[in-house]
Amino acid sequence: MTGAELGQIAVNALLLSGILALVALGFSLVWGIMNIVNLSHGAFIVLGAYLTFWMHALWKIDPFVSIPVSMIVLFGLGYLIQRSLINQVIRAPLLATFLLTFGLEILIVNLINYFFKADTRSVQTAYSGTGFALGPVRVPYIRLGALLVSVLLVLVLGAFLNRSRLGRAIRATGMDIDAARLSGVKVAAIYALTYAIGASLAGAAGSLLSMVVPFDPNLGGPYTERAFVICVLGGLGNVVNVLIGAAVYSVVEVFVGSRLPALSQAVTFGILVLLLIVRPQGIAGKSFS
Amino acid sequence: MAKAIRLILLVAVLAALLLLPRFVSSYKLLTYTTVLCLALMAQGWNFIGGYTGYAAFGNVAFFGIGAYTTGLLMLSKWHLSFFPAVFAGALLSAFVATLIGLPVLRLKGHYFAIATLGVAEAFREIAGSWDSVTEGATGIDLPVRSDNTFFYYTALGFVVVGVFVTFLLERSKIGYGWVAIREDQDAARMLGINTTIFKVAAFALSAIFASLAGGIIAYQNIHVAPNDFFKIEYTLQMIIACIIGGTGTVWGPLLGAAVYQLLSTYIWSHFLELHPTVLGAIIIFFIVFLPRGLMQLFGRLGLVARGRRRVGWDILLANVRASRLE
Repeated sequence: MTGAELGQIAVNALLLSGILALVALGFSLVWGIMNIVNLSHGAFIVLGAYLTFWMHALWKIDPFVSIPVSMIVLFGLGYLIQRSLINQVIRAPLLATFLLTFGLEILIVNLINYFFKADTRSVQTAYSGTGFALGPVRVPYIRLGALLVSVLLVLVLGAFLNRSRLGRAIRATGMDIDAARLSGVKVAAIYALTYAIGASLAGAAGSLLSMVVPFDPNLGGPYTERAFVICVLGGLGNVVNVLIGAAVYSVVEVFVGSRLPALSQAVTFGILVLLLIVRPQGIAGKSFS
Repeated sequence: MAKAIRLILLVAVLAALLLLPRFVSSYKLLTYTTVLCLALMAQGWNFIGGYTGYAAFGNVAFFGIGAYTTGLLMLSKWHLSFFPAVFAGALLSAFVATLIGLPVLRLKGHYFAIATLGVAEAFREIAGSWDSVTEGATGIDLPVRSDNTFFYYTALGFVVVGVFVTFLLERSKIGYGWVAIREDQDAARMLGINTTIFKVAAFALSAIFASLAGGIIAYQNIHVAPNDFFKIEYTLQMIIACIIGGTGTVWGPLLGAAVYQLLSTYIWSHFLELHPTVLGAIIIFFIVFLPRGLMQLFGRLGLVARGRRRVGWDILLANVRASRLE
């Protein structure tokens, strides 16, 4: 392996880790605060991608401009879903929320498939495919932009959770729901808000992905899996854990993808299962049972 | 009285199932065999997912192992007949389940679910790339047997044995041990239950059932390929069948498998393109209103019939009241 090749792998991993961090961020928030492994996360990503696609196709809105729109729409949808459905079964055994979100995933993905057909789409702008060279290494503008947007959203969420009253209420609810309730936190609304934030981050990730990769209604599933792996690698806890997990995961994915493309899934899952067994608290996280 | 009615019902259903091949076409019989195989897989999943409460998402691995072992033993040098081959597959599956179960069953909750999902994916990739044994993505062919009643009666026989096994185990020390683990694993350990052995036993038993179903379907389809026999849809079907019928009950998996297949066929013929949407809505409905399935609904309706419970929305809303966020 030459130095240039290694450099390209490093840059690709860095550019990938931004979007993956954004994908995993909402997933990790929902999991960490409410103990829900949200299998419909992928469906929200697909919805975000289609919103950006249609806004660009119908009204020529720049894909970066449509990110806030995706986020607002998915925020509303997520709030409704948590308030009306998931809150009704939240105290049931784990399998309940797992299967409920799975049911939502196949329902949403199938509806998207029904209305928008299974054609592969992509958002093409004037600056798609352009980039600049950093010595022997190529950096596409869109991926760089996606990385910057991801970093911005990660920082905003971190600040929101740590500094704002609502953010602190969310974290308090995640730590001890009864104590939070006794302190006057409206936990039903906080749960819905948490899920809504998770969904809106997935929407933003979907908008970014629509510019970077060609997509169809089945785009989301593999990203839900990746989000899970990243959360296990990084551990649950805070925003920094997600960043660490995403960085480690994208190095593994880019490296394995360039060496052993046929076995990338097996290798990733193999690492995951080994890690779960040897070190159940993740590389850098609090212990979970 | 109630006992007599139940016995009569049981005999009637069994007689109907035994006589069925005389009244339906040979092609139609294939569908019924599929239902029975789904019931068999669901019965297996019920041990680990229903009684023990471990959300196993990789049981299709054993379905595939059963299919491949049956196929390979019936072919090539050995030329075993079907029954020795399918039982050898079941034994192998139980062995593999024990090996995998020992480390993986230490995980809990979501982690166990995803780890088993990963294991199943790994088996699919192994079957797809181990060319010298499994012939890779092309898969293997089995000897042809066009006698559809054979498959039907074999599956029916296994399901009946499965009901007996479940019935006996439910009332045995091991059945109570599983339920104790589901309700509170630490408490179960304090009571002197060797949780590791109990959990591995449930996992291995579920593997045997899935493996038998895999063997039958492989022989019926006369072709085994990795993407057809290791697909996650099978795992989901067993789980959904258990949820619809009722997890942790003797009859739930059978009832669920039959209802699932009926619903699925109806949806396919009426809303072809929206099939997954309706399926998703059914899953959501059962999880929210009847997480313990139709058996729970029947139980509640039975109480109403005996005048011990009033008719009302409470029959559906009791679970929401118990598990919603207050």
